[in-house]
Amino acid sequence: MSTIAPEFRLSRFIASLTDIIFWVLLIFSIVGLPLVFIILFYIKLPVINGQLLTPYLALTWMANPANTVPIIKSLIHTEFFRIIAFPGFGFAALLAAATIFVERKFLAKIQLRVGPLYCGKIEGILQLMGDGLKLISKEIIIPAKADKPIFWVAPLLFVGTAAAFASLIPVASGWVVSNPNVGLLAVFATIGFFPIITVLSSWSANSKWPFIGGIRALHQMISFEIPLILSLLGIVILTGTLNLTEIVESQQHYWWIMFMPIGAIVFFTTILAELERIPFDLPEAESEIVAGWLTEFSGMMYGLIQLGTYLKLYAFAGLFTVLFLGGWNGPMIWPPFPADIITNGITIGPVTAHIAGLPLFDQDMLNGTLWFVIKTVGVILVILLPRGVFPRIRIDLLLHTGWYKLIGLAFINIFIALGLLYAGVLGHGGLIQ
Amino acid sequence: MTTQLPPGIQLETIDDRIMTLNVGPQHPGSGHMRLIIKVDGDYIVSCDPDPGYVHRGEEKMAEYRNYIQNIPHLERPVIHDSCNILYPYCLAVEDLLGIEVPERAKYIRVIASELNRCIYTLYWLAIYGIFLGHSTMFMWPAGDRELFIDLLEAMSGARVTHAYFVPGGVRNDLPANFEERCLRQVNYFEKRIKEYEAIFYQNPVLKQRTEGTGILSRMDAIRLGTTGSVLRASGVDFDLRKKEPYDVYENLDFETQVMKEGDSYARSRIPYLEMFESCRIIKDALRKMPKSGSVRTKLKPNPKGGNDESYRRVESGRGSLGFHVISNNRPEPYRVKISVGSFRNLICIPYLLKGEKLGNMPSVYWSLNYWPVEADR
Amino acid sequence: MGSKKKVDKESSETNIDATELANDQNNESDDDSTKLTKEEAKKYYEEKGIDLSHDVPIHVQPIPPFEKSMADKIVSKFGQKVVVDYVRPNRIRMNTKREDILDVAYFIRDELKFDHAESVGGVDYPDSKEIEVVYHLGSYTDEQLGNKILALATRVPREDIPNPGNDSTRTPSLRDVFYSVEFHERECFEMFGVFFEGHPDNRRLLLPEDWADIPPFRKDFKIKGR
Repeated sequence: MSTIAPEFRLSRFIASLTDIIFWVLLIFSIVGLPLVFIILFYIKLPVINGQLLTPYLALTWMANPANTVPIIKSLIHTEFFRIIAFPGFGFAALLAAATIFVERKFLAKIQLRVGPLYCGKIEGILQLMGDGLKLISKEIIIPAKADKPIFWVAPLLFVGTAAAFASLIPVASGWVVSNPNVGLLAVFATIGFFPIITVLSSWSANSKWPFIGGIRALHQMISFEIPLILSLLGIVILTGTLNLTEIVESQQHYWWIMFMPIGAIVFFTTILAELERIPFDLPEAESEIVAGWLTEFSGMMYGLIQLGTYLKLYAFAGLFTVLFLGGWNGPMIWPPFPADIITNGITIGPVTAHIAGLPLFDQDMLNGTLWFVIKTVGVILVILLPRGVFPRIRIDLLLHTGWYKLIGLAFINIFIALGLLYAGVLGHGGLIQ
Repeated sequence: MTTQLPPGIQLETIDDRIMTLNVGPQHPGSGHMRLIIKVDGDYIVSCDPDPGYVHRGEEKMAEYRNYIQNIPHLERPVIHDSCNILYPYCLAVEDLLGIEVPERAKYIRVIASELNRCIYTLYWLAIYGIFLGHSTMFMWPAGDRELFIDLLEAMSGARVTHAYFVPGGVRNDLPANFEERCLRQVNYFEKRIKEYEAIFYQNPVLKQRTEGTGILSRMDAIRLGTTGSVLRASGVDFDLRKKEPYDVYENLDFETQVMKEGDSYARSRIPYLEMFESCRIIKDALRKMPKSGSVRTKLKPNPKGGNDESYRRVESGRGSLGFHVISNNRPEPYRVKISVGSFRNLICIPYLLKGEKLGNMPSVYWSLNYWPVEADR
Repeated sequence: MGSKKKVDKESSETNIDATELANDQNNESDDDSTKLTKEEAKKYYEEKGIDLSHDVPIHVQPIPPFEKSMADKIVSKFGQKVVVDYVRPNRIRMNTKREDILDVAYFIRDELKFDHAESVGGVDYPDSKEIEVVYHLGSYTDEQLGNKILALATRVPREDIPNPGNDSTRTPSLRDVFYSVEFHERECFEMFGVFFEGHPDNRRLLLPEDWADIPPFRKDFKIKGR
């Protein structure tokens, strides 16, 4: 290495630093600031104390320490923050990334090995960052005869649809990116896009193995969508609403999994099939059809597809929690915010600071989020488990399962739900409220 | 076309319905050989195996080297089962040169052969698991192999391609404390492989995929001349260690494992049951081995066989392996013909895959215990 | 390289003398003042007609009765057409001409109950301009024959410039008798150039499709560098 890198010269180092600072300032002032102003036309800015909050105003107010926390709090309650950070893309991507790492370690322990170990000081915790950097730096190879527009767009569509799906899941009371009244139907509509995207990407690659993989993915996803929808009909019948937030609110005293275990099992199996996880990973069956419909994707396109897959995993696990496990309901275990900090302020040594507007998030919301995360992580772990235990299923057995057995079980579940409703046990005016 | 085609060249008609797939050498599910499969939808219409990608001409090379120089290259067809492929060569050359092998060497040879059989079977099981998509079944046998590879490394100095057997015995004696170490590892190994039962052989998805597929009846197995675990899974009780015992197998007690169904599940189970028998043999041999003695009969420099020939065979991990060695008063053999178990089982591949579903192709093909490198020699 | 030495009781006398002399000669390598030099010793033994070419002490083996009975059955049926090469414990070898090999094979399969072929190999003898094809036959169904191998050999004429498939190096295929020889005969065809008449698929198996040289296992084909 010492023969390739030149010797260190302080003047050259300072010159390169000033170079970087120059370019950053230039781009920021010529490009960045106007961009921010243009975007701000489309974001609703909060009005605080009768004044519109512009960035300059925000900066001056932040200089006054008493105003810091209220400004941040008002920013947190905007739509923008919800989409980007908290129940939206940032939160989902963080959970997805943690899932990838946990999956590798978990599987490794089942298989008597260690998993990622070297990247990062503690048990390889920075492995994902290393993988992400690697994928970004790889060359993206497009096959010569591929259908280029569709091929480029397919991974972006995939991530977009997965993120749209994740945006429908409520995390805590009132904290959801979009809350349509027909939330569950919106979920079904979004899920219905995935087979189309898979077939588009496999067809545009114009090669034999992705073609076979795409056809298998199509068979698999379509034959498992019907049991997925049917198994959730029971819940809709009993709650009378399609809105996901209301479904969670109806589970305050009991969880739906107690009354509809068959529906939960059918839904869980169809989740495994929609996510293409083992034992249903036919579309990417490595030993038979190289890598299925993912064969021709390389570099960051593959990274995007992996991100989309794990976002989908988080979204499905979140959906399972919301529908069957009671969402964010749970006993209050988050400690309440100490009230004397609001009245008396924080005392450190001789200095007492009064910080206005302090509880950033209230206790209900934090408790709800904690329970939601615990339950979702539990569901994710159970989804990860079959990968270490089962081999891959064959296509005709898969279709047999999807079309005969699961639909039969879903209908039994619907009859149980109808029975419970008409016997007056559940639902409006029932014995158990 | 009215011109006469050269012998063996065929014309092929192009059919709209039938797709030709190349399960080729660069395919994660094929090993080092090519299968030209014609599919009609999901059903395989015909299958044409195309081995020969790893053909190195072992038999031709053997004619240019003398009896001792032949040992390192003749073990290359199966590098991790190298003791079993050198075994019949050493027996045949000992016949030709008229050498008596000392008793302790015979026991060491039996122990090394059984250890190698377990190593090969675990490798084959690992790849069987990964062909079916079962990654845990790939990791566990690959890790458990290390127990025995360590033992063989202590014996011979190499993890694979041991070059341990020579005509006249074995190359060197066992290291000190080998017997206790071997016994301890074999006991631990038996506990480990009992766990495969629950995760693999009783796994409902595996049973659905392999039971009833690729059925080879008893008459067909005999007529096709199959050998090894394929034969024993179809109900024929034939094991060379019992029928034609070589070295000290007649003093050791073990059983032959036979199953009657002849489907892929039975073929995948027989080598696993035979691993238990191998552990029995190793423990028995360790008990009965003479504690000291020479392990090698010294050969004269540049030994020559007479105008003679010898055919000896041995039960290896894949089936019976035979060596036909012809000598003619020269230090090099005149002709060495190797008859390997994998090549004899090759005929089952087109026979069984015809009419099968494409999804069953990995489970049937790999259950035939076919090692492509060995079949090509 | 023509005839093989038969190891049975009749011809053992000369061999024992030769081995004793050979052992003596090997032991006396130290002082050679009064002994003969190597060339003189060789000439001495050549005049006497004793063959010292191999230094193997021949073990005299008795002829096992069961194998002898099998060999006698075949000889009694076919007479002059079949020559018994050797009868050893668990191993018999018969040589036959290529015109009769089908009949002999049918007889062996039906009467003697050998049901499969273990291997089919060729041996090239350029001095006598012949290629020998050896079938090793075994039996799975018969209890007594489990450990016995019957080697059936035939010779085909060999041409100096081979044209595989279109010259006189051909022999009837035993595929209808023993189904298991299918791939073995294909390999023998590509490696030696012996065309098997009646085989449904005489095609290359192990060699690449564009092999344009003589069949490689013949002795004319030299490995480069050796």
